[in-house]
Amino acid sequence: MNILEIADLGVTFSTETGDVPAVRGVSLHVRPGETLALVGESGSGKSTVALAAMGLLPGSARASGRVTVNGTEVVGASESSLARLRGRTASMVFQEPATALDPLTRVGAQIAEVIRNHRPVPRAEAAREAVELLRRVGIPEPERRASAFPFQLSGGQRQRVVIAMAIANSPGLLIADEPTTALDVTVQAEILDLLRRLAADSGTGVLLVTHNMGVVADFADRVAVMLRGEVVETGPVEEVLLRPTHEYTQRLLAAVPRLRFSGEDSAPVEAAPVVELRDVAVQFGRGPRAVRALDGVSIEVRPGETVGLVGESGSGKSTAARVALGLVPPGSGTVSLFGTDLSRSRGRARRALLSGVGVVLQDPVASLDARMSVAECVAEPLRVHRRGMPAAERRNRVAETLELVRLPRELAGRGPRELSGGQRQRVSLARALVLEPRLLVADEPTSALDVSVQRTVLEVIAELQRELGFACLFVSHDLAVVQEFAQRVVVMRAGRVEEQGPTMSTLLRPETEYTRRLIAAVPVPDPVEQRKRRTGVTA
Amino acid sequence: MDTLLYLGRRILQALAVILIVTVVVFCLLHALPGGPARGILGPQATPQQITAFNHEQGLDRSLPVQYAYYLGDLVRGDLGTSYTLNEAVSRLIEQRLPKTLVLTVLSALVGLLLAVPLGMWQAVRRNKPTDYVITTLSFVAYSTPVYFLGLLLILLFTQTLRWFPSQAPQGDTLAQVLADPAGLVLPVVTGAASMVAVFSRYMRAATLENLSEDYVRTARAGGASQYTVLFRHVFRNSLTPVVAMLGYYVPVLFGGALVVEQLFNYPGMGLLFWSAAQASDYPVLLGCVLVISVATVVGTLLADVVQRVVDPRVKEGRA
Repeated sequence: MNILEIADLGVTFSTETGDVPAVRGVSLHVRPGETLALVGESGSGKSTVALAAMGLLPGSARASGRVTVNGTEVVGASESSLARLRGRTASMVFQEPATALDPLTRVGAQIAEVIRNHRPVPRAEAAREAVELLRRVGIPEPERRASAFPFQLSGGQRQRVVIAMAIANSPGLLIADEPTTALDVTVQAEILDLLRRLAADSGTGVLLVTHNMGVVADFADRVAVMLRGEVVETGPVEEVLLRPTHEYTQRLLAAVPRLRFSGEDSAPVEAAPVVELRDVAVQFGRGPRAVRALDGVSIEVRPGETVGLVGESGSGKSTAARVALGLVPPGSGTVSLFGTDLSRSRGRARRALLSGVGVVLQDPVASLDARMSVAECVAEPLRVHRRGMPAAERRNRVAETLELVRLPRELAGRGPRELSGGQRQRVSLARALVLEPRLLVADEPTSALDVSVQRTVLEVIAELQRELGFACLFVSHDLAVVQEFAQRVVVMRAGRVEEQGPTMSTLLRPETEYTRRLIAAVPVPDPVEQRKRRTGVTA
Repeated sequence: MDTLLYLGRRILQALAVILIVTVVVFCLLHALPGGPARGILGPQATPQQITAFNHEQGLDRSLPVQYAYYLGDLVRGDLGTSYTLNEAVSRLIEQRLPKTLVLTVLSALVGLLLAVPLGMWQAVRRNKPTDYVITTLSFVAYSTPVYFLGLLLILLFTQTLRWFPSQAPQGDTLAQVLADPAGLVLPVVTGAASMVAVFSRYMRAATLENLSEDYVRTARAGGASQYTVLFRHVFRNSLTPVVAMLGYYVPVLFGGALVVEQLFNYPGMGLLFWSAAQASDYPVLLGCVLVISVATVVGTLLADVVQRVVDPRVKEGRA
């Protein structure tokens, strides 16, 4: 019997502007011991299907059709019968380990709670089991860690705790909703490994919700592709990923940046660097709690080239970008922008210098003022740095720049919230380019976007770079994207530059163990290739 | 050790704030038209009398010197002598403060004990009739002036129903006050009303926010019942911001006591402050303001300490 059986599931959200169907006619099943990946872009309804299977849909949602977990109907079931099911027959791992745990309860107690929700074991016994579960999910010193609060653990460890909670009662079905999206690649590889092992050990069926085709190739047996609330293609992982039949799946897979395993370095640029960090150190805080964010970092970006700054969270790559922007003063070392030492220039000269740098940040929602129109957002740098510019000329300049990033003129009067994610990020880009900078600093500019949107935004950046000739410092955690767009790459780790060099030779023949591990941890969206890579890594 | 260090630092900060308060209060006193002499001696006083009075009270010295004397006396516990009651201010406060503390602490306790469950109940029944009814009552309670509410309660419970006396306990000692619980009911209820209104709103908002947090979904995904979710997770997480607000509410409580004591003829700090203000009895006014300020600073300090105990993240500087 299938552990999860979904037949003709429909989910509608009631909103102030009327009913919005999120999921329509979805049918799928998960057999014990197999992993079904549910893939799709944001808004495709994949997470809604997962929540419906747990009976965890928000109050504004109505579900129709049938969802049975191990033979028990979920749609329309009472809260108390659902509570008996959740955490015992079916359990769930969520995307955001930072917020998934109760901040005021020790992690051991949170695991013990799941045990005691379903089994009448004494408190002490449940606490012992919790420690054992922490050991199983690979938390070091589980006895001590059981009494830690969530904030005292790293993101990867928190996700392990959530997994420990999910497997506490050996469920037949495990639903994982983007379980590794918020984690670094090396941690992602470990967590996927853990999930795979746990599922194989106990014959658990897994419903894996993800947008990452590499994760799918790494983990899934079968794949269902969702588009606008419907399943458009389903089949074994090799079929769907290597020989997709639906046009959307083909498009989706074509947009996925892939790590390439051959290629040539591009010719080095000889001109003087536009920005140069020399032996920069940055320390946050003082005393014993001080954090050394950067230590002896030297990076340079030459005219017209793109330098990819890669590394895991906490490696200091964003801090390095902020130093280049003049936002963080270096504790020691020098930063020169366009040949001028940034620490020596003040006031008007410094502002003029910095007006030559444009910046695009990760989150286009948070980095644009919601109360300004698109045109106002783009015009603001002109108002600050070109005060004398007549209004008519400013309007023209804004219109030109919006055209440059391929945004329709009609959008100029709208607010940022009325735009899609990709459009918003192009507004950020227009804002960054309106002063015709010589350097663009892009900090994870596409990490919050879907792959197909990511591709268009990246292509716009690359095209404009060819056209306008600005240099680009490109901060990203995605090695495949960096490989595609950067001529040189700087690998950072724990505030230091681990290695740097021309992109292809650095990524294909890395000199340090860390870079090798980083590359090996990136799952490629090809199940056959990925299987080879994985066995190679473990061997 | 960490905690001791923190406490030490916070207490020093509190002392600094109190020092600033004394400066402000001192300046306010001297900014009054005519100064204290005019207030005490009355509009008929001759300039000679005023000069004599100023000299006698040390009011003709330079302001910094006066302030230094004032501070020196303060450290010795001498808050000056009342102009009208001819008694040491410290003695007056010593007599009145415990009574007001009884009133405010009881009001705060009763208020919180009602507000917290009410707020949670509203959050759980969000946008249902229960929520609307309590919300309406909260706004009525909050927007009704304390003296008007007190008068209504007196009318209803002492005149019509005759359940409680209209006067608060009149005894001089704390024991005498506490021996007459029936007399305390109406003053405490009057004082607690706005507290219930305000804090049930806070609690409702905090609970709603926490109910939509990811960790609630995780708990439910683990099979937690509605009861477990509410009382093991949401309750504690919602209470922390409410506790933080409590410290800032101390001056409001004292302000309420001013009216309540007047209404129920309860000789505490409020009544003392009231009559001192009427008689321009500045040493007494100054003492009262100082005591209320100290209470506020101590209140916020206590709230911070409680928060530190409840929320481990505060200790690590992560929240």
